[in-house]
Amino acid sequence: MTNHWIDIKNADVILVMGANPAENHPISMKWVARAREQRGAKLIVVDPRFTRTAAKADLYAPLRSGTDIVFLGGMIKYILDNKLYFREYVVKYTNASFLVHPDYKGPGELAGLFSGYNKEKRQYDKATWAYQTDENGVIKKDTTLQSPHTVFQLLKRHYSRYLLDKVSSITGTPKDKLEEVYRLYGSTGRPDRAGTELYAMGWTQHTIGTQNIRAMSIIQLLLGNIGMAGGGINALRGESNVQGSTDHGLLFGTLTGYLPMPTAANIDLKTYIEKYTPKTKEAKSVNWWSNRGKYITSYLKAVYGNKATQDNDFGYAWVPKLDEGMNLSWLNLFDNMYKGKYEGFFAWGQNPACSGANANKTRKALAKLKWMVNVNLFDNETGSFWRGPGMNPKDVQTEVFLLPACSSVEKEGSITNSGRLAQWRVRAVAPAGLSRPDSEIMNELYFRVKKLYQKEGGKYPEPILNLTWNYGERGPDGKIEEIDIHRVAREINGYYLEDVYDKTVTPPKLLGKKGELCASFVHLQADGTTSCGNWIYSQSYTQKEGKVINMMARRGREDPTGLGLYPNWAWAWPVNRRIIYNRASVNPAGRPWDRSRPIIKWDPNKEDPVSKKPGAWVGDVPDGPAPPMDTEKGKYPFIMMAHGMGAIFGPGLADGPFPEHYEALECPLEENLMNKQRINPTIKLFAEKEDAFYSCDVRYPYVATTYRVSEHWQTGVMTRHQPWQLEMVPQQFVEMSRELAAEKRIKNGDRVKVKSGRGEITAVAVVTARFKPFKIAGATVHQVGMPWCFGWQYPGDPGAGDSSNLLTPAIGDANTMIPESKAFMVNVEKA
Amino acid sequence: MTTNNPQSKGVLVDLTRCIGCRGCQVACKSWNERSVKKTIMDGTFTNPPELNSECYTRILYTEQEKDNVPAWYFTKSQCMHCKDPACVSACPVGALRKTEQGAVVYAFERCIGCRYCMVACPFNIPKYEWEKTAPWIRKCTFCSERISAGKVPACIKVCPTQVMFFGNYDEVVQEAEKRLRDNPGKYVNHIYGKDEAGGTSWIYLSAVPFEQIGFNTKVPNVKLPALTWNMLGEIPVKVGALVVGLSLIAAFRNRGSGSAGSSETKHGKEK
Repeated sequence: MTNHWIDIKNADVILVMGANPAENHPISMKWVARAREQRGAKLIVVDPRFTRTAAKADLYAPLRSGTDIVFLGGMIKYILDNKLYFREYVVKYTNASFLVHPDYKGPGELAGLFSGYNKEKRQYDKATWAYQTDENGVIKKDTTLQSPHTVFQLLKRHYSRYLLDKVSSITGTPKDKLEEVYRLYGSTGRPDRAGTELYAMGWTQHTIGTQNIRAMSIIQLLLGNIGMAGGGINALRGESNVQGSTDHGLLFGTLTGYLPMPTAANIDLKTYIEKYTPKTKEAKSVNWWSNRGKYITSYLKAVYGNKATQDNDFGYAWVPKLDEGMNLSWLNLFDNMYKGKYEGFFAWGQNPACSGANANKTRKALAKLKWMVNVNLFDNETGSFWRGPGMNPKDVQTEVFLLPACSSVEKEGSITNSGRLAQWRVRAVAPAGLSRPDSEIMNELYFRVKKLYQKEGGKYPEPILNLTWNYGERGPDGKIEEIDIHRVAREINGYYLEDVYDKTVTPPKLLGKKGELCASFVHLQADGTTSCGNWIYSQSYTQKEGKVINMMARRGREDPTGLGLYPNWAWAWPVNRRIIYNRASVNPAGRPWDRSRPIIKWDPNKEDPVSKKPGAWVGDVPDGPAPPMDTEKGKYPFIMMAHGMGAIFGPGLADGPFPEHYEALECPLEENLMNKQRINPTIKLFAEKEDAFYSCDVRYPYVATTYRVSEHWQTGVMTRHQPWQLEMVPQQFVEMSRELAAEKRIKNGDRVKVKSGRGEITAVAVVTARFKPFKIAGATVHQVGMPWCFGWQYPGDPGAGDSSNLLTPAIGDANTMIPESKAFMVNVEKA
Repeated sequence: MTTNNPQSKGVLVDLTRCIGCRGCQVACKSWNERSVKKTIMDGTFTNPPELNSECYTRILYTEQEKDNVPAWYFTKSQCMHCKDPACVSACPVGALRKTEQGAVVYAFERCIGCRYCMVACPFNIPKYEWEKTAPWIRKCTFCSERISAGKVPACIKVCPTQVMFFGNYDEVVQEAEKRLRDNPGKYVNHIYGKDEAGGTSWIYLSAVPFEQIGFNTKVPNVKLPALTWNMLGEIPVKVGALVVGLSLIAAFRNRGSGSAGSSETKHGKEK
């Protein structure tokens, strides 16, 4: 989230698209209700199905799964045509005025492609997506937005094709609904109105997932909603701590704090820093990533401690490297496993046999392993895959170990929610039975592996032998006897390893004393004198005047701004900032665009806490202490962008600088009605027979999507064992329209078979008015939907059903490789 | 009857805020340590289909369609805790009673299993443990032991969207009237339970007519105990004989269940 949960109450219009908060994030609806009741805010829900969230909406618009960019592209056109955009914001805070390379061409000119496409590689050469620069390397701009090469004019040209009739014929959304949504959401372009967008897996799980979100980001920038209280673009995370897990480097492509995972070509630390430190000639850009060297060096010091020295490149060589172009995301991992490339697998806190797209392939892949360790609260379909449907245990050689993990309430630690708020939790009850916290299981694993390396050597023991692991008291054998999770949290925050001085002032000023916890990432150094496990969490567990403070455990209930920031409640990254890019909420003179919602404002008389000179920000922690943009030392608001501006034009993505509509891999249309490319031209296609896909195939005529229900959690491992939950939603079901049911002679409550090119499940038909047939290009298209919370193992009744991921395709987003579980094709027949 | 004393509690259920998440349904089970009766998906989200002896509150999902636009309404149901409860009046042995705080509660050890309460209730709330060899009546207790301890009922505590407004009965009615007054057009102009059955401790506001979302709107606006006793008064001799007979059965059933056992059942430990 750019903003945070409570901030939803500050919105005037709440657009829920690609999410279903009433069912999956029920607590958020408290703030939605507050906004509606106290501000008269309007709730818009756009979804293929009329959900429990839609039941609360002021305005509901249906759309066919996988057509969000068309819907949003139409909105961009509407905003531009009707001049609803916030012009001053667009000119001063976004890259709308930048001039793009004169040879840049878009899908309107190149039959659905952007300039630079390489058909063999299925990749773009992005040379023509670059900005024009002057002789000093400064980006050329036209603040009148008139030049045909400006981002603004290119945007206009790009979306000129997204005409209302066309949008309606692709999305299936009635034209009057489209206009109603556009008009209402477009009303937030005024400085005194704010609109927020809530999305989740309904946007990410598409081959165009990243671009779905980009399209909305463009809208939010055009309307001046980024940085504002009640605005922003807000990802509702699917698990309580999924934000924390990606922050801490869970994904294959990143280390902690979103530092890129080194690749083999980055042969040393210098090369790495050189490659990943963006440069800019824009005088007023903060370009925060210019600090990359400090963060990676401090990270290496945290990981390798005293073993990391200037002479050995701070142990950079010990960090695992990806091969160039290597992608180890979910689909690739299981494709590799399916091909027999892995011997062993730790399934840690997950249930891939039900949770991953194309679960049949996943289950077969598990059978190719020599061993698997299943770390979970319960045995699940993954640990027991060898006795699942279609498996003959005699034929499966995989040896499976179950390590019982304890649940979140049986251990202490932090949980970071979608609003980047890291909240410390104490242990509520002792772990049940032999179950242990994950950290204790890792501790065991670490010392046993280390011992083996010590005894037997091995190919490359240094990364293990040189790892710091100072998380508790050591026993006689040197092993940590019990993990003290506070020590982990302090390592994440980071330490001053020497007395650290600010040498930019004379005389140098002491920033921190050796051995103390770092005050914040602002003090981190690139010379090895600081350590920090995750730079964005620096300040989360800190020291003030010698006193150690766990900021995440704070429970202050003060709300000085009245906007629900609660700055003394726990701690949000970065540096307790509750709304990021908040410098865009004020005009270039530092005055709030909306005086009724002043998230920050410049007070020329207030003393700056660091410089002790007059002039400081009040309100939320600003995105950097620099004075307002129009002053001499002022800075641009988008500090994480090298050029400092909000990115309407986004040349960093694999599939284009502007979002363009491509159909899902499996779709009901022979061709893309928007352009000549049916599917995203940059997605990776998998070629095993299990990866089969069938587009526009009479055998699989209906669009399908998957979702969660309030009553079950993810694949249901934690809820299917719970009779209270199962009583409410006891069996796999498939929702369909009355019209489709009549066509197929299916009655409400009938058992039906749902089939895709990859698998089949049985389910109970829920015939409902909440799904309606779509009119797509003049023809009727039906859509159905299923939850994915079931699995064969439990409750195990014949009618309970298996995972709907047996049906979903193995295809991923062009940028993230997130599987396309939200739009694919099936057939439905009476069982 | 005690509803109008200052301690008497009430609840306003504002259905416009309900998102149908069923947190209340689970919290109720958790606090009251209820088990489940096996259910199936039968084409609707409502589950279990009716309240039963293991389920004191549940959400009814009502789907509608007007001009091709769907609508979906969520109705929480539980004991209404009438001001003058028919069930209390109908109970020949005083197993049911209305507490000072407004809850209608039930003493297991007194029950003779006659099930008059089930017949008497206009809202179809008390349920019988048909499948058990030693069956009792079960229903929502207003979490009276939580209220006594200064807490709110479990379903209210857990509700993410503050559907329920809990307070002294008079404040609750005032709040309902205020919401009606302050939001013209938002609600149908009726506070369900304010007058029904002579008034109930739980009252409702809704955006759609109550009869469309599972409410019995045929309940007369009079105290029902009077009716019950009129009816029962016609057959005093037969009732007397029945009470004696059922008391014997109850004594048989309760044999061996000591005082510790029955006090535990008050806290819902019995499964």
